[in-house]
Amino acid sequence: MEFKLEAHRIVSISLGKIYNSRVQRGGIKLHKNLLVSLVLRSARQVYLSDPCPGLYLAGPAGSPAVSPPQPGEPAAGPPAGWGEPPPPAARAAWPDAEPRPERLAGSAEPAAPMTGAGDTPRGGETEAAEAAWRCVEGPREAAEGGAGGPAGGSDGFPEGPRGARGPCGCPPGTEERPGPLGACPRLDCCCAPRPAEDEPPAPPAVGSRKRGAAGVGGGPGDCPAPGSSPRKKPRRNSEEQPGGAATAEEEEEEMETGNVANLISIFGSSFSGLLRKSPGGGREEAEGEESGPEAAEPGQICCDKPVLRDINPWSTAIVAF
Amino acid sequence: DIISTVEFNHTGELLATGDKGGRVVIFQREPESKNAPHSQGEYDVYSTFQSHEPEFDYLKSLEIEEKINKIKWLPQHNAAHSLLSTNDKTIKLWKITERDKRPEGYNLKDEEGKLKDLSTVTSLQVPVLKPMDLMVEVSPRRVFANGHTYHINSISVNSDCETYMSADDLRINLWHLAVTDRSFNIVDIKPANMEDLTEVITASEFHPHHCNLFVYSSSKGSLRLCDMRAAALCDKHSKLFEEPEDPSNRSFFSEIISSVSDVKFSHSGRYMLTRDYLTVKVWDLNMEARPIETYQVHDYLRSKLCSLYENDCIFDKFECAWNGSDSVIMTGAYNNFFRMFDRNTKRDVTLEASRESSKPRAVLKPRRVCVGGKRRRDDISVDSLDFTKKILHTAWHPAENIIAVAATNNLYIFQDKVNSEMH
Repeated sequence: MEFKLEAHRIVSISLGKIYNSRVQRGGIKLHKNLLVSLVLRSARQVYLSDPCPGLYLAGPAGSPAVSPPQPGEPAAGPPAGWGEPPPPAARAAWPDAEPRPERLAGSAEPAAPMTGAGDTPRGGETEAAEAAWRCVEGPREAAEGGAGGPAGGSDGFPEGPRGARGPCGCPPGTEERPGPLGACPRLDCCCAPRPAEDEPPAPPAVGSRKRGAAGVGGGPGDCPAPGSSPRKKPRRNSEEQPGGAATAEEEEEEMETGNVANLISIFGSSFSGLLRKSPGGGREEAEGEESGPEAAEPGQICCDKPVLRDINPWSTAIVAF
Repeated sequence: DIISTVEFNHTGELLATGDKGGRVVIFQREPESKNAPHSQGEYDVYSTFQSHEPEFDYLKSLEIEEKINKIKWLPQHNAAHSLLSTNDKTIKLWKITERDKRPEGYNLKDEEGKLKDLSTVTSLQVPVLKPMDLMVEVSPRRVFANGHTYHINSISVNSDCETYMSADDLRINLWHLAVTDRSFNIVDIKPANMEDLTEVITASEFHPHHCNLFVYSSSKGSLRLCDMRAAALCDKHSKLFEEPEDPSNRSFFSEIISSVSDVKFSHSGRYMLTRDYLTVKVWDLNMEARPIETYQVHDYLRSKLCSLYENDCIFDKFECAWNGSDSVIMTGAYNNFFRMFDRNTKRDVTLEASRESSKPRAVLKPRRVCVGGKRRRDDISVDSLDFTKKILHTAWHPAENIIAVAATNNLYIFQDKVNSEMH
């Protein structure tokens, strides 16, 4: 919980720094941007692996939603998220990810995947996670992803980062999401909001969230479903973008990540893509109903590639820049 | 302007400072005066010159800052002094000469230099050198440009007195002092795919005695000792110094705080001193597994890393310094505090560089930062530390207990009265 909040905050701050670095005198500082990108990555991991994704969903009411990490895999929770190598974290996170009670109900399914996910070779998860990140940073990708467009996500995988969703790859979702979530739509942006406990169980409940709910469900983990097809490696660029933009071109790309403020708002507002189910992701954010079941899958979505790919609004934003 | 580097020359007679505006100011120590036996020779301004100007890289549409990142003195071979100064992209060799005499009594020219009317010249004289007011002339002798794509973070003159190296984020180049159109790349850690970048070079230095050895530090907290005899391209290190991370201290910012901001060989050449965000560490060249000594500079900041990340303070690059006998190490901190650690007695002291506490001849009072618990009268609490007042650059006289401390745009020079006492 606090971890997630803090992680989210750190993500926002980091993005702000990356954005500001482009206008600093003397050009992009490679070292500083690299460090910022490392922090971003750690925060993202925590964000994704934090068991209480839905914490903020409740908005002011603050449903504490922080369910204690599910028994399942050992406490992945924050500790796991702290920056341990993605695979373990992700893995660990999965089980916990579900904190949501609702989820429990349907958790069988999720659980399975999660576990499965857990067993998934790290590579997969990592990749997914990484990919998610990359998406965030890769402007180009976003542009390319544009096709998938905000709308909804379309599956982005193949498209690559589109929307880089950010920590949890929650795609901006197609529309505004503010609604139901009210208060925190973005806060955790990443999946969290969405996954909020409520989400899964009642995807439609949140209106726009609907979409997300499903996907999000899972919660932070980005455990690509066992079956998920390997992430698209290509786009990896974001990871290093921030830090790595040493050359002009790279810098250029980096920069195109766009206006941070917009990014953040996008982050927050929509996660439609989240629904995606890990496997294949082809799921479109589709309407909540669909998400429902998936939503149940804890943790999967969040940064699942599909989700990530879907960042419609995100990509729009990116493209804009 | 904000001082960005401080460096004593090899004898300690001269002290050079570089600032953000591209200027270099050199101070000279006055010879001890018999009139004031207590004054061990104070430093006065000797020369000021503009070393670098802002430039614009049209190809990349980037402005190149004129801030002087580092100054290194060359060993002195004749009456002139030479130093290297560098900004992000270009290194310059400056020669500093004194002129305190001038010829007078020319036959063909008058005092102002105008040609005399030859008909008025009735006898010949030999021009004589007459004393004049000391004039310090500084002239750029070499400009080493276009050697670096990334930002230069350090330069180091080799003990062979002929070559020097310059390091940027990803590469280290070896130059000959007399050759400006060519340099040799000796380290290149740029990955084929920039997306795979995980660490950058943060500092580098030549060994003080072995002209084939140099060390470079990375953002991951490791040090690599390289031997130029092994290969032309020293990508493969001879020794890798790295301390395993303490898992109990893991946080979001673990990577940032483990990044080494400065590395310095001891005068003896046996040890290396590194500074990362919260500690200074002494490494023995013969032991790669971990440092032999670790000193906490301001561990009370460990719980505040998030705020320090927000206000960018966590990216501050503090330097460190050895004293002449390698028994004491010094580094800066916040609130204009700087710290000294005595390696033998294991005592440490925190001092402050501020106008209020630095009246001439006054003895610096040790300061203390309290972290909860009992608070003494003059203690400063962690929350009242001023993070805008940071001491990043310090230098220690090569032989005596004289230190130069740069506090933003002020330079403080402290001398040891009696034997330095560590508390």
